[in-house]
This record gives sequence, structure tokens and C-alpha cells, in this order.
Amino acid sequence: MAKKVDQTASFMVRFNQIIFEEDGESKVQWRGKVSHVQGGEDESFTNFNDAVAFIQERLGDLTLEATKDESPEVQDSLLKKSFSLWKTMAKEGPKVIMETIKDPRKQVANIQDQISYFGEDLKDKVHIDQWRNASRSDFNTIKESISSLAEEIKKLNAKVDAISKPSKTTKTTRTTKKK
Amino acid sequence: MNSLRNRLKELKQFQEDAVIRIQTLGQFNLWLQNEKVDSKKWGRDKTVQLLQYLISNRQRHALHKEKIMDHLWEDGDDRDFKVALHGVNKVLEPERASRIEPVFVIRQGVSYQLDLEKVWIDVEALEQYIIIGNEAFGEDQAIAKQAYKAAIALYQGVYLPNRVFEDWSSEEREKIQILILGAYVILAEILLNENPLESIRLAQCAIAIDNTWEDAYRLQMQAYIKKGNRPQAIKAYQKCADVLDQEYGIDPLPATKNLLKEIESI
Repeated sequence: MAKKVDQTASFMVRFNQIIFEEDGESKVQWRGKVSHVQGGEDESFTNFNDAVAFIQERLGDLTLEATKDESPEVQDSLLKKSFSLWKTMAKEGPKVIMETIKDPRKQVANIQDQISYFGEDLKDKVHIDQWRNASRSDFNTIKESISSLAEEIKKLNAKVDAISKPSKTTKTTRTTKKK
Repeated sequence: MNSLRNRLKELKQFQEDAVIRIQTLGQFNLWLQNEKVDSKKWGRDKTVQLLQYLISNRQRHALHKEKIMDHLWEDGDDRDFKVALHGVNKVLEPERASRIEPVFVIRQGVSYQLDLEKVWIDVEALEQYIIIGNEAFGEDQAIAKQAYKAAIALYQGVYLPNRVFEDWSSEEREKIQILILGAYVILAEILLNENPLESIRLAQCAIAIDNTWEDAYRLQMQAYIKKGNRPQAIKAYQKCADVLDQEYGIDPLPATKNLLKEIESI
């Protein structure tokens, strides 16, 4: 079993909203940057799908690293489950967060049920109890940004399905920013 | 405006008077009664980490021991926490008798927090200066200028650079980076007519933090034109266009393109 610290991937996502006039029309542009804290690498994006792919790639690496001593069959199976869990997260995340704002306890139970579906191995790696400690003010703070993101992610969800299965080649975890 | 002026004065005074001063930007240092604490006095790295964690979460108030342990220790127990806390208190209050409650790290049951009234921390001061600058902006440019300058002077580099791979420090690092980017750009804008050279420098500082910060390129272009340096203004545009293309695959905003047109027509 890999150490807890090796089972954690944290991401910081920055969105910079730019509203401007062009050809007599008001336009809005989102410029974003997603950073992987433990690895130190980051990527700029204007399409949120690129950020999703960036996160997915690191999560795939994490699963591969944690299961490197397993047989190829077990590794493949866990990778598929991990990928499914992430797809569910990308699909349901914004909805769940909005529901959680309304009824935190009920939604924590719902998430726990969903995680159970993917088996004990993955359940152990998701420290869901930490979610219970979030205060209502924490939720209120993110409510506004989540509302605007929810619609965008809904559209991108279809594209997430199209993302191909992650490659099994091990990648260097600390890369430098692409230039 | 007097209240803003007073707040500015009080902040500066606090920096001079505080018994404990902590630098987190660029590097980590602590001064106790104006004397820098030797790094050897910290003993274990977890002691330093605990204090840095309390700094990173200073505005959350009363951090539960379990939560702190969960972030800092892989399989820590109460003893690990007690040792680290004792280490922090020993550095902050070396002369404190064991029966007396610590004054800088406040304990409420099993929750802990730093007393921000007594401990001066650069990131906290930087944020307060920027709040004053933002409140004064448009109302009293002299105060705004002073406040932004004070904030910028405190920015010696990235927040806790030796903890960049620790997720508990990321939120604060990101927050400070956004605040300082704003301060650089706003001050560059305020100084555009009065001191275009300084505007160019400030915009360059913003670009050094985030090379896609388009406002900073536009300010550089304007400042170069004020200095009568048309070629450099065009170069600044080109740099901006190259970076945006490389990072996002997009063109500069219409405002930036229009500025280029104006410059080219000079």
C-alpha cells in the first residue's frame, strides 16, 4: 500500500475573466491556469476541457504509481475504475456541489454511496469525512463561482467522454512549464 | 480619508513595534525582539511547518488539532503534535514558565490560532496595505500610492518557497500572487504620467510573476510611448502577442491591438 502522501494530488485552478467589446459585440473570455501542487507543473487553458485532461493525466499517473507492484490485470482494472470515478466527478461534481450547498449532510451520504460503487480500494483513498468539516460559509464562498462553472462544465461533459483512455507510460512527475 | 491614513500609520508602527515579526515571502525568517532567530533553534522541521501552517490558515480562526495533524502528519499522534507545538512556543516565548499559557499561539480547547494583534506577518501586512490601497484608490491617490508601495516593498518573492509542493500552503500562495499582481498593475497605472519608467518596471514585475498578464503589457506600451520610445512599445506588444499565442493560442485583446494601431500611427 502506497503512503498517504503519495495518494494525494492537489490542483489549483485560476480563472481570469475578461470582458471586452469586439465588432460592436460584448464578449467574454476565460483565461485559466491549472497547477498540480505536488508535481509543480502547470498549464494555461482557455478551454476547460484542457484543464480536465491535465487533471485526468495526473490522476492516471497517481493510480499507475500506486499500483506499480500489482499485476497488469489488477493495474488495468484499477486504472479503469479510477478513470470512471474521475469521469463521474467531472460529470456530477458541479451538480453535487450545488446540492451540497442546499443540504450538506444528505449529499455527503450520496457521495459515499457513489464511491462505494467503485469498491473498497478506491473508497479507502477518498477521505470523505473531511468534507463534513466544511462550514456553510465555505460553501457560500464558492457558490457564486460554481454557478457560473456549472453551465460550462455541463457542455464540456460530452467532450470528457471522448477523451481517450490514459496512456500507461509512466511520466516524469516534476516537469517544467511548457514554453 | 483620515481613517485610512491612520490605518496606514498604525500598520507601519506595528511592523516596527511587534515583538515577533515573520517573513514568509521569498524566504522564511522570524525575528524575536528584532533579533533574527537562528534556524537551528527550530529543531525539527515539523516545528517550522506547524507555525507555517498556522500562518497559512491564520484567517480561519481556531484550527482544530485533528485537522492540523491530518494536514501535516502522515501517521501522526498527539505526541507528535505536542512536541511540535512545544517547539513553536519555545521559539516564540523562550522565557515562558510552563504553567503560563502561551500568548502568541492562542489555545481554545483543542483549537489553535496565531494572535494577529501580537504577531506581525508580512503576508498579513501586505494584504492589509492592499485593502487600504483599494479603498483609497480614486479617492486619495496619495494614500493609495503609499499603501501599494508598502505592499510591494514586502513582496520579496513567492510565499514559503520551500513549501511549494505542500498543498496546505497553495491557497495562500495563490491569493498573495493575485493580490500582488493587482498591486503592481494598479500602481503602474497611477504612476503612468508621473513616472513612466517606474510604471515600466512595475509592469515588468507583474509579467515576471505571470507572463500572460495582458494589462501589464498594455501599461508597458503606454509608458514607453510617454517616454517617446516607440520601438520598445511595439516590442512590448510583440512579446505580449507571442506569449498569448504560445500559452493560449489566442490574439491580444482588441484594446491592446487598438493601442498598437495608435502607436503605429504616431
